[in-house]
Amino acid sequence: MDIPSSEDTDAIFFDPFDDDGEDFYGNEDQMPDMVADPIAGFNRAMFVFNDKLYFWVLKPAASGYRVVVPIPVRVSVKNFFFNLLAPVRLVNSLFQGKWRSAEGEFCRFVVNSTAGFLGLFNLVRDKPSFNPPEEDFGQTLGYYNVGNGVYIIWPLFGPSTLRDTVGSIGDWALNPFAFMQLIQVDAGVLTSSETNIIAYGVRTVNSTSFRIGDYEALKNAALDPYEAFRNAYIQNRLSMIAQ
Amino acid sequence: MIPKQISAALVVFVMTVLLATAGSTEPMAIIKVPIDRVIDILNDPQYKVAGTKLTQRNQIWKHVGPMFDFDEVARRAVARKWRDFADTEKAAFTDVFAQFLGNTYIDKIQGEYHNEQIVYLGQNYHSEVYAEVKTRIVRETAEIPVDYRMRKKSDDQWKVYDIIVEGVSLVKNYRSQFASILRKETPAQLIQRLNDKLTEQNKRLAENE
Repeated sequence: MDIPSSEDTDAIFFDPFDDDGEDFYGNEDQMPDMVADPIAGFNRAMFVFNDKLYFWVLKPAASGYRVVVPIPVRVSVKNFFFNLLAPVRLVNSLFQGKWRSAEGEFCRFVVNSTAGFLGLFNLVRDKPSFNPPEEDFGQTLGYYNVGNGVYIIWPLFGPSTLRDTVGSIGDWALNPFAFMQLIQVDAGVLTSSETNIIAYGVRTVNSTSFRIGDYEALKNAALDPYEAFRNAYIQNRLSMIAQ
Repeated sequence: MIPKQISAALVVFVMTVLLATAGSTEPMAIIKVPIDRVIDILNDPQYKVAGTKLTQRNQIWKHVGPMFDFDEVARRAVARKWRDFADTEKAAFTDVFAQFLGNTYIDKIQGEYHNEQIVYLGQNYHSEVYAEVKTRIVRETAEIPVDYRMRKKSDDQWKVYDIIVEGVSLVKNYRSQFASILRKETPAQLIQRLNDKLTEQNKRLAENE
């Protein structure tokens, strides 16, 4: 293969680890990590809204929670929700024909739901075959070449795209609480909207308690935070779809 | 007792192996040596004392800085518009961008190092001069994949030109930001922005000392 020298200005962006190779910069608007953003005005407003929400509500809540709740409990809360959402990952592994991943998801779910006390403990954490890449419906759509559509920042939920929003709705239907509601099983308090909202809130605060400082660091590292987060979201999703 | 010929052969063999490893500094070693040093520095009790943060930061930078080819990082981050930069602007940009990156990321790891382990997963060669080292940062609850993309320079040294964290290329991320700024502003203005950000950063770091 002909390796361009870095003095050759036309080849200075060459990166052999990118699938798109040398032509990557033919046209800046067609970069794979770019996304259409026709509602940038709305998105920028939501970016500010979510930013304030993080600093005024989520961060104080998660910081307090971190002080009060010891690590093993927080890890178990995280494990519990992770296990609860196994159907989402399992179904999407199957949709993409990733049988090995599906097998891993299924086995982990069975082991952790039983011996791991309803998922409070992850007993197979160190076994790679039980821990396949996490799949979701947005990735499934991407796997079948559905493009991002447009970039959307949702209040509370954060950055997404049209495709990933459709994906999230599909995944939401597969979370056990919503699923019971959808198939009209009356499980009393478990299927109530309040339970759903509380569960979402606890999960968000709990997972944020492990990541305090990450958002600030990313934001501080950026010259144009809106652009930086948009690009990071798209790049991260692209790499997840490729896995 | 080991016969003389065998022990002599053994000595030759051991020396050959040692020389071979010393001669070819593989991409993974280029990453591993300074990172392991940085972890030692982060764990070093002498820096747990107040007022030592700056010294610690300089120590870390001394080990981490040479891992990178900042000319390459800067050029790739600016990409197409690099041609619009005058030579002095190229130099000024590279310098301020390197300092800014160093400050930002060293501050982050100084503030938040909690005994994370680094697992070195392996290295892929794409060709004679391109390689990728795959690592993982293992936290209490999560694993963060971090890949280092490296290029062998004409002096036979492997240097990092991009870092990929959770699938996000640092260079591409800055590229999109610089592209959006350079659509409206000149290279000189971009350099000014970076300088302002650096000054503000240095001020904040000095206050937290």
